[in-house]
Amino acid sequence: MRFKLDALHLRALLWLILALTAVLACASQMTGRFPLQTNLLALLPTTERNPVAEQAVNKLAEAAGNRVVFLLGNEDAPAAFAAARAFAAQLRSTGNFRHVLADIPPLDPKQISAFFQPYRYNLLSDADRVQLANELFKQQHSLPDRLQTKLYAPFRFGLTMSAAADPFGLTDDWLASLPLKNLQLEPHNGMLVSRSNGKTWVFVSADLPDSAYNGDVQHQVATAVDMAEHVLKTHHPDTILLRAGTVFYADAARASAEQEVHRISVVSLVGMLLLLYLVFRSIRPLVLGLLSVGFGITAAIAVTLALYGEIHLITLVFGASLIGEAIDYAIQYFAAHLGAGADWEPMKGLRRIGAGLTVALITSLMGYGALALAPFPALSQIALFALVGLTSAWLSVFLLLPALLRTPNRRNPETAVALPRKILLKWQHRISAKASLLATGLLLVLAIPGWSQLKANDDVHLLIARSTDLVSQEEAIRRIIGFDNSSQFFLVEGQDTEQLLQNEEALHEKLNQLIQQETLTGYQGMASFVPSRQRQADNRSLWSNTVFADEKQLSSMLEEAGLRDEVAIEQITAFKASADNRLELASWLEQPLSTPFRHLWLGKTDQGYAAIVLPQGIKHLEHLRQATAGLPHVTFVDKAGSVSTLFEHYRQWSSLWLLGAIGLIFLVLSMRYHWQQSLIILMPTVLAMVLTLSLFGYLHIALTLFNMMGLMLVLGVGVNYAIFLREGGIHAAATLAGVLLSAGTTLLSFGMLAFSSMPALSSFGLTLLIGIAVSAFLAPMLLSFDRQLDQKA
Amino acid sequence: MQGMNTAQAWLNVILASAVAWLATSILTIPSSQAADAELLSAIGKQIEQHQVVRADFTQTKQMASLKRPLLTHGKLVYSSRHGVLWQIERPYRVSYLLGETKIIEISADGSRKERGVRDIPGLAQVGRVFRAMLGANTQALKDHFDATVTGTPQQWNIVLQPKQAQVQQFLQQLKLNGNQFVEQIEIAETSGDLTQIKFSNSTASAPSALEQQLLDSL
Repeated sequence: MRFKLDALHLRALLWLILALTAVLACASQMTGRFPLQTNLLALLPTTERNPVAEQAVNKLAEAAGNRVVFLLGNEDAPAAFAAARAFAAQLRSTGNFRHVLADIPPLDPKQISAFFQPYRYNLLSDADRVQLANELFKQQHSLPDRLQTKLYAPFRFGLTMSAAADPFGLTDDWLASLPLKNLQLEPHNGMLVSRSNGKTWVFVSADLPDSAYNGDVQHQVATAVDMAEHVLKTHHPDTILLRAGTVFYADAARASAEQEVHRISVVSLVGMLLLLYLVFRSIRPLVLGLLSVGFGITAAIAVTLALYGEIHLITLVFGASLIGEAIDYAIQYFAAHLGAGADWEPMKGLRRIGAGLTVALITSLMGYGALALAPFPALSQIALFALVGLTSAWLSVFLLLPALLRTPNRRNPETAVALPRKILLKWQHRISAKASLLATGLLLVLAIPGWSQLKANDDVHLLIARSTDLVSQEEAIRRIIGFDNSSQFFLVEGQDTEQLLQNEEALHEKLNQLIQQETLTGYQGMASFVPSRQRQADNRSLWSNTVFADEKQLSSMLEEAGLRDEVAIEQITAFKASADNRLELASWLEQPLSTPFRHLWLGKTDQGYAAIVLPQGIKHLEHLRQATAGLPHVTFVDKAGSVSTLFEHYRQWSSLWLLGAIGLIFLVLSMRYHWQQSLIILMPTVLAMVLTLSLFGYLHIALTLFNMMGLMLVLGVGVNYAIFLREGGIHAAATLAGVLLSAGTTLLSFGMLAFSSMPALSSFGLTLLIGIAVSAFLAPMLLSFDRQLDQKA
Repeated sequence: MQGMNTAQAWLNVILASAVAWLATSILTIPSSQAADAELLSAIGKQIEQHQVVRADFTQTKQMASLKRPLLTHGKLVYSSRHGVLWQIERPYRVSYLLGETKIIEISADGSRKERGVRDIPGLAQVGRVFRAMLGANTQALKDHFDATVTGTPQQWNIVLQPKQAQVQQFLQQLKLNGNQFVEQIEIAETSGDLTQIKFSNSTASAPSALEQQLLDSL
C-alpha cells in the first residue's frame, strides 16, 4: 500500500513539474500584452508558384496597412471643412499617430513639369508615339495642326508648358498621360474634397506609428478615433464620419475574438461544471476536471507560442472550444470511479480504461493531424493547439487523477447511474441488431435526397470575415472618392531595370488595347513615368525625324504661326544639348512626387528585379487574365482567386481524405478489437457523417472546405463515444453516464463555436455540433451488436 | 482580402491627390465680400433665366512668345443643363464640348478626342470655372474666388482674384462684365499672358438641331 501510494505521488509530482513548466513557459513568452496575431492575411496559404508574387502581395498589404483614412460629410460645405479640421486636430492632439493630414501641404505646381523638362525630347505619350511614327511612315505632317491647337485652344489645363517651351503640345500630352490622378478627390479650400449625394466630403488621413497588427497601436488608434468621434458628435452633430483602414478591421477582429473566447470559455466551463456536478454530486471531479483541462490549455498555449511566437485569434477562439473535449478523458475516469463503487482502486481503474482512452486519443489526434496536412497556416496552428491540448489532458488522467481520486465513491453505484442503466436496458432489449441495421438503412435512404441538394462555396471570405459595419463604410468611401482598385495586380520581372521596364512596356501596350475593349479602365505602373532606355531612344529619334527633321522648316512654321524667332532657336539648341540626358528610374524614385507610387517598385529580388502594375476598374477579370497570359515575365496575381481555387481543390479532395481516414481509424481499432467489432464501433460515427452532410443539403447550407475538415474531427472525436461504451464492460451504465456527459460538454463547446463570427470556425462548430450529437446518440447502437457478438462468442 | 485591396490604394490617395490639386493651375478659392453678395446674386439670377444662350465670340490672346496677338472667331452655345459648345471657325475649325464629366474635342474632319475630367488633374475645376464664367454662375464662382462687384444688374463688372499663393503663381485675375448676358471675359496670367473673349449677338434662342445633337453627347 505504502509503495503504491508513493508511485501515485511520483506520478502527481511529474504532472506538477510538467504543469509548472507549461505555466512558466507561458508566462515567459507573455511579457506585456498577449501576443495575439490579428493579421487576417496571416491565415492565407501560400498560393503563388512565383515566390516574388507572394512577397509582392505582402508588400502591398504592408504599404496599405499603416494608414487610415476618414471622410467627413456635411450638406453644408463650410461645416464639413470646419468639422474635418477639428477632427484632425483632435486626432493630432492624442499623439497616437505619426502624422495626421487634413490640409494639403503647399506644393509647387511646376514641380512635375520641371522634373521632366530636361528629358522632354526622350518622352512621348503612347498616342503621340504611334501617331508620329505613322506620319513619318506616310510622309504626313500633323505638326502645323498641333501648333494651332496649342495656340488657339480656349483654355489650357494644369500641367502644361508654355507655347515657347512646347509649341506642338507633345510634352503637354506626355504630362497628361501620367497616371497621376484617378480619384474624384479635388483640392478645395486647402483640403481634399469630393461632392456626392448633395454632401461635401472632406478627406482626412492619418499614419500609424507602427504596424496595424500591433496590439498597442490598435488600442491607441481605437481610443483616439473614439474620442475624436465623440467630440465631433458634440460639436458637429450633423457631420457624418466614415472610416477605412486595416487597423480598424484588425481591432474589430480582436475585439470580437476576445468576446468569443470569453463567451465560449465561460459557457463551456459553467456548463461543464454543472453537468459534472449533476452526475457525480461531488466537488472533487469539478476541481480535478478544471486542473486537467487547465493543464491541457496552458500546455497548448505554451507550445503554440514556442513554435509560432504568437497565437492567431482564430486559434484562440477554437482553443476555447477545446475545453469541452479535453474534459472527456477525465470524465471517463470519474465514470469508472462512480461505477466501481466501494471496489475502487485508482490504478486498477486506470488500467481498465487506459487502453480505451489511448485509442480514443489516437483517433482524435488523427482527426486533428489531418487538419495539419492542409496547407493552411490557420488550420495547422489549430491542429497543433488541439494535439498538445488533448494529449496533455489525457496525460493528466494518467499522472494526476489517480493520486487525487483514491477514496472510493461513497454513493451506491446502482442508484447513481439508475437513469443511464434504464436507457441502456431499454436499448439492449428493445432494439435488436436487426432493428439497428434497419434503422441505419432507413436513415441512409432519408439522407440521399439531402446529398443531392448539396452545394459548395469556396469563397476566400470563409477565412476572413470582416465587420459588416466597417465594410459598408469602406465601400461608401470607395464610392465617394471613386477608388476602384481591386486586389489583383501584375507582377513584372526582369534581369535588370532596363529589361524589367521593357517587359512592363509590353504589358502596358496590351493593357491599352484592353482599355479600348473596356476590359478595364486604367492602370498604374512605373514605366508610365520612366520609359525604358530603348523606348527613350526610340522617342528621341521620332522627335529628331519629325520636329527637328528640318530646322529651316521648323523655324518658318513657328514664325508663320506668329511665334518670335527665338522660340525656334531655343528649341533647336535645347534639343541638341539634351542628347545625353536620360531619365533614370532611380532619380524618379528619389523625387518626393513619386512617393504615392513607390510601392509599385519592388526592386531587387532573388531572381532579378520586380515591379507591380495595378489594373483599375476591371470589368472582365477572366478576359484580362487570358489576354495577358502569354506576356513574358509578367504574372497576373489574384491572391483572393488563388485562395478560392485552393479551397475548391482541397474541398474536392477532402472526400477522398475522409474515406482514407475512415480506413486508417479502422486499422487502429482493429489493433485492439476484432474487425467486426471495429466496424460496429465505426458505424455510428460514419452514419453521423453521412447524416450531417445530408442535413446540410436539406438546410441549403453551402458546403465549404471547413465543413469537410469538421467532418474529419467528427470522425476522430465521435468514434470515442463508441470506444468508451465498448470499453465500459461490466460498468456499462456508469460508462454510458460518462459518455453522455462527455458528449454534453463537447456539444456545449462546439455548439458555441457554431455561433462564432468567423465563418471557418462556425462551419467547424456547426459540423461538429450535428456530427457529434448524432454519433453520441447512435453510439449505444453497438450495444445491440455486442450482445449478438457476445452470444456468437 | 478586401482589406488588402483597399490597401494599395490608400497609399496613393494622399499624394496622388495632392499632385492632382497642384494641377489646378487656374482657380480655387472661397468667400466673397458680404456687401457684393446681393448684386452678385442679382446678376446670377438674371443670367440663369436663360436656359440656353447663343453668341458669337472673338478671342484675343497675347503671349510673351508671340509677335502679335492671336485672334480667334467662333460661336458659343451655353446650355445650363448640358454644358458648353465652343466652336472655333477662324482661323481654323475645331469645336470643344465642355461637360461636367468630360471634354470632347472635335476636329474639322469630325474626328473626336474625348477626355474624362477624372483622367486629367485639375480639368474638372478648370471646366467648372469656365462654364461658371460663361453662365455667370455666381454661386460656383463664389466657391472658387474672392469677388469684387461694381455697377448695376443692367451693367456690371466682376473682378475675381485668387488668394492662395499656389494659384496666384499662375493667375493674376479674372474680369467679367456684362448686362443681361456676359459681354466680355478677361483672363490675366502672372506670366503676362492675357486672354480677352468678347461676346456679341447674344440671344436666348434654342440651339439648332446639330448643336443640340452635339450637346446631347455630353
